[in-house]
Amino acid sequence: MDQLRDANWVLSVGTFLPLAGVLVMLFIPKAEEQLNKAVALLTALATLAVGVYTMTQFDYDQAGKMQFVAETNWISVIKSTYHIGVDGISLPLYFLSMVITVLVMIYSWNHIPSPGNPKAFLMLMLVLQTGMAGTFIAQDLILFFVFFEIVLLPMYFMIGVWGGENRQYASLKFFLFTMFGSALMLVAFLALFFKTGAESFAIPYLVENGGAIAKNTQVWIFAGMFIGFAVKVPMFPFHTWLPDAHTQAPTQGSVILAAILLKLGTYGFMRIAIPTLPGAAVEWAPWIGLLAVIGIIYGALGCLAQSDMKRLIAFSSVAHMGFVMLGISTLTSFGMNAAVFGMVAHGLITGMLFFIAGSVKERYHTLEISRLSGMLQQVPKLGWILGFCAMASLGLPGLAGFWGEFPAILSAYNPADGLSEEAFRVYMVIAALGTVFAAAYLLWLYQRTAFGEPNPEFTGQGDGHGHHHGDGHDEVHDVNTLEWIAWTPLLVAIVLFGVLPNLMFKIIDPAVTTIVSGFGG
Amino acid sequence: MLVNQFLILAAVLFCIGVYGVIARRNAVMVLMSIELILNSVNLNLIAFALRNGSADGHVFALYIIAVAAAEVGVGLALVLLVYRNRKSIGLEELSEMKG
Amino acid sequence: MSSPLLAAVSWTVPTVDYHGLAPEIVVALGLCVVMLVDLFLAERSKWLLASLSGFTLLGAFIPVLTLALDDGGARAMFDGRYVIDDFSLILKGLFLLAGYVVVLLSTTYIEEGEYYQGEYWVLMLSSILGMMMMTSSRDLISVFVALEFLSIPAYMLAAWRKRDAKSNEAGVKYFLLGVFASAVMLYGMSLLYGVTNSTLLSDIGASISGELTAVRIIAIVFVIVGFAFKVSAVPFHTWAPDTYEGAPTPVTAFLSVASKAAGFVALVTVLYVAVPEGSDVWQPLVWVLAVLTMTVGNVLALRQTNIVRMLAYSSISQGGFILMPLAVAAEGGAGGAALRSVVTYLIVYAATNLGMFAVILTVSRKTRSGEISSFGGLFGYAPALGVVMTFFLGSLAGIPPLGGWIGKFSAFQAVLEAGTGWAYAIAVIGAVNSVVAFGYYGNVMREIWMRPVPDANTMPIRTPAQLVLALAITTISTLALGVLPGVALHFGDLAIFAGAFAG
Repeated sequence: MDQLRDANWVLSVGTFLPLAGVLVMLFIPKAEEQLNKAVALLTALATLAVGVYTMTQFDYDQAGKMQFVAETNWISVIKSTYHIGVDGISLPLYFLSMVITVLVMIYSWNHIPSPGNPKAFLMLMLVLQTGMAGTFIAQDLILFFVFFEIVLLPMYFMIGVWGGENRQYASLKFFLFTMFGSALMLVAFLALFFKTGAESFAIPYLVENGGAIAKNTQVWIFAGMFIGFAVKVPMFPFHTWLPDAHTQAPTQGSVILAAILLKLGTYGFMRIAIPTLPGAAVEWAPWIGLLAVIGIIYGALGCLAQSDMKRLIAFSSVAHMGFVMLGISTLTSFGMNAAVFGMVAHGLITGMLFFIAGSVKERYHTLEISRLSGMLQQVPKLGWILGFCAMASLGLPGLAGFWGEFPAILSAYNPADGLSEEAFRVYMVIAALGTVFAAAYLLWLYQRTAFGEPNPEFTGQGDGHGHHHGDGHDEVHDVNTLEWIAWTPLLVAIVLFGVLPNLMFKIIDPAVTTIVSGFGG
Repeated sequence: MLVNQFLILAAVLFCIGVYGVIARRNAVMVLMSIELILNSVNLNLIAFALRNGSADGHVFALYIIAVAAAEVGVGLALVLLVYRNRKSIGLEELSEMKG
Repeated sequence: MSSPLLAAVSWTVPTVDYHGLAPEIVVALGLCVVMLVDLFLAERSKWLLASLSGFTLLGAFIPVLTLALDDGGARAMFDGRYVIDDFSLILKGLFLLAGYVVVLLSTTYIEEGEYYQGEYWVLMLSSILGMMMMTSSRDLISVFVALEFLSIPAYMLAAWRKRDAKSNEAGVKYFLLGVFASAVMLYGMSLLYGVTNSTLLSDIGASISGELTAVRIIAIVFVIVGFAFKVSAVPFHTWAPDTYEGAPTPVTAFLSVASKAAGFVALVTVLYVAVPEGSDVWQPLVWVLAVLTMTVGNVLALRQTNIVRMLAYSSISQGGFILMPLAVAAEGGAGGAALRSVVTYLIVYAATNLGMFAVILTVSRKTRSGEISSFGGLFGYAPALGVVMTFFLGSLAGIPPLGGWIGKFSAFQAVLEAGTGWAYAIAVIGAVNSVVAFGYYGNVMREIWMRPVPDANTMPIRTPAQLVLALAITTISTLALGVLPGVALHFGDLAIFAGAFAG
């Protein structure tokens, strides 16, 4: 154990390093845009380096245990400690957040959305990174809550300042929904604290003692946490902020939102709500499963109705997170494995899809699906990447998306003891139908945008109406170097985890087994 | 004992005072009504001091008389200020700010 | 029947603990010096008075520190009527520091106004002196005297711009309602004295127990109603928005922070020491007041267009959160947590709200407007002010890691520690309200970050040195209290009033 404790500075450095970058940037004038970008990117890279070091030092044979644990006094009066650590569930998400931030920084090098001001934009992104990484390593409820909330303001401003036309509405909606959830979540945390004897906010302690709370009380406390996490996931019917936020957010915001922020909710279920309140989890699981499959179908139908590419991807997120929640709701290690894998896969794939949407918007100045066509002819590389991601997103075997969706559906066949098999088998069938819908909307999207002849509007040929002057057309170019740099890691990871899913399952499984040991799944 | 009568008198004065504060629309009349309440308090205190046989009530009443004098001083100064600026001391006209 | 005056024959000179009284003595002396120096100063060197006042407050902070470091336990004077303990020292420190920041906020404002300067500082120092006395008062008479001592100068400060109709109106409304409230409170106090035969709070606490007679209920209710005016709890809040809007802005900062805090100090002392056994009466009353205060304050704040008026309603609503734990303070050993929460909340609220007023004063030097829309595009041309203002707004909204969250957190914690049905109900209402509050705080943030500059005037804002210092103090404390909340909570972790809810 001692050797695990030796490197307990690693996580703190990895989490707070971005803030050091923010401090440096405070003293760089706004006009020095390149310098600001360079400092931000270097900070993100340094953070990633710490993340890589963490990966190399992680003891994969004990992935079920908390590692790099650091524990020190923080708010002793209320018995809350600065207690952090990673296990097999945290590690992939923690690392993913660092990777995504770096890639988004690279993408931002020449893609700072209007109204500019890269200094502020990148500073917010670094603060966001601290909040995200911190949430995944916090082992204390209050610490978790603080990190969980830190991401709110930067994201609010990112959408509200750098977003699309309807940005102010979207950002406020995002904020109010999340804050409403977290306010009730905090009340639930406190109730849990007092009902376990007001001894400690440490998650391991609460996991040990939470089960002893009367079942009826557990159900109520779980309700508070459920709202907090379900808004973040987002689960049907709390999802309405998501399409607005995604559509209005700048590309970078959408990518971070899809790749990491949504996972804070599902992670919260797995790390806090279910292990600390096992009794309530069994009561709630069928309802969570129900909402999850409603989300799958609703998200898919929503996708079919969209005319905007970004909004379509946003609705597909609702559906995908439905699969993740379905996996979690089975309370089996099989389902949870699928869920964590699904989180990472969705982060990679949907993050990538939002990158593409951003690039399409940049080239065509529109995301109206009906106006786009013939991308394969006009921008073949971009077209192929879109096709690849659409395949990955619909769960094609051999790509990462498959290993999130397929086991999640399978796991519903055989839920944990105490859960109704009939109900979950019905869910399984519905979820399987959902994959068919997914194939439908993604292929339809691909067919409409990539196939056919390019829209004359954007080709500069056959345009007799004179409202195009030729200057704008050279903007429609294929994938450029910076985009390749930002995207390649994601594309490689999608293939890699698709072919070798065990790379990740090996890490996740021990940790998940610890969580579900109480359910006999 | 007589104490109860004093208490009832004080209660009546208090009620008249509260009514005056709520119903009157003239700043000076409101001030007078508040004085009425303060005097009912003094009466209460003296009566209780008599019944309880302790000096605390007397001391309290003396403090109230002194502080009330200061209060009225400030209050009349404020009313005078308003009168200078508006030539009126009607409270219903004090409505620069709303919401 | 012997005369009551003759009963107290064995009178001896009470011992005065000069070390214990040193903070008050320093402020009192400083007040006299300012008044005297003012007489002999030429108009152009009146700025000296501001410095003198500032140094007086900082000077008084030294004995507070020495008293805090001295671990001889609580010092009681005059048979326990005036007590210097941890509770009073922490709040004295808070009042002195808040007073110092208000001096910083006032300096340029007062110099640029064309009214008497000396009087302003004297009144401010007297009011602070009254607040310091309030923290130590453990007797109905000294509570009353301290309350008037802090209020009467405040009435005059509110009307300080004497040729301005709004300022007059602010002063008169504040005065009439304030005096009325203290008269009602006095009536309650006289009844309390009548039924317990003592003005000493701890004696009253000892004799009020068991069955509550009608007189006792009326007494408790009247006293609480009196304090409810002072802390502007709904439905006794009507003076607050008008007074805050009309009074000079630094005075508004002072009223919304220090005067409100003093009201809570008095309320807590009376509830905890004098009538802990009357909790059957005051708990439901405070519960209703707290719910109304946070809800009505929030709803009315949502539709304000003037920033100071919006802050007035926001401060009403914040008052509801401070009241919230008191509504269940006597249940299940939550008394200590409730006290801690009130003190913690007052500390973080003071830091945040004063900072907010510092930004408003700075920005209005350029825009000459009190409208929320005058903050449009602030982030574009004055990013530092924009970010700092965002911190304060976020802190008031209770978003970690900014100071305000720990206040809200400790309030919820205290409520849930009580764990009754009423407690859970108020916790949920509070949670919903804290979300609604973001509606108006977020609105200001939106102006700062996302809206265009109203008159396209993007001249940089010149910030006077005093305001820079005030901003630095408040920003650092807001952030530090949020990141290291242990500090604030540690101050609030008081062992005083022991046994208040023992029974």
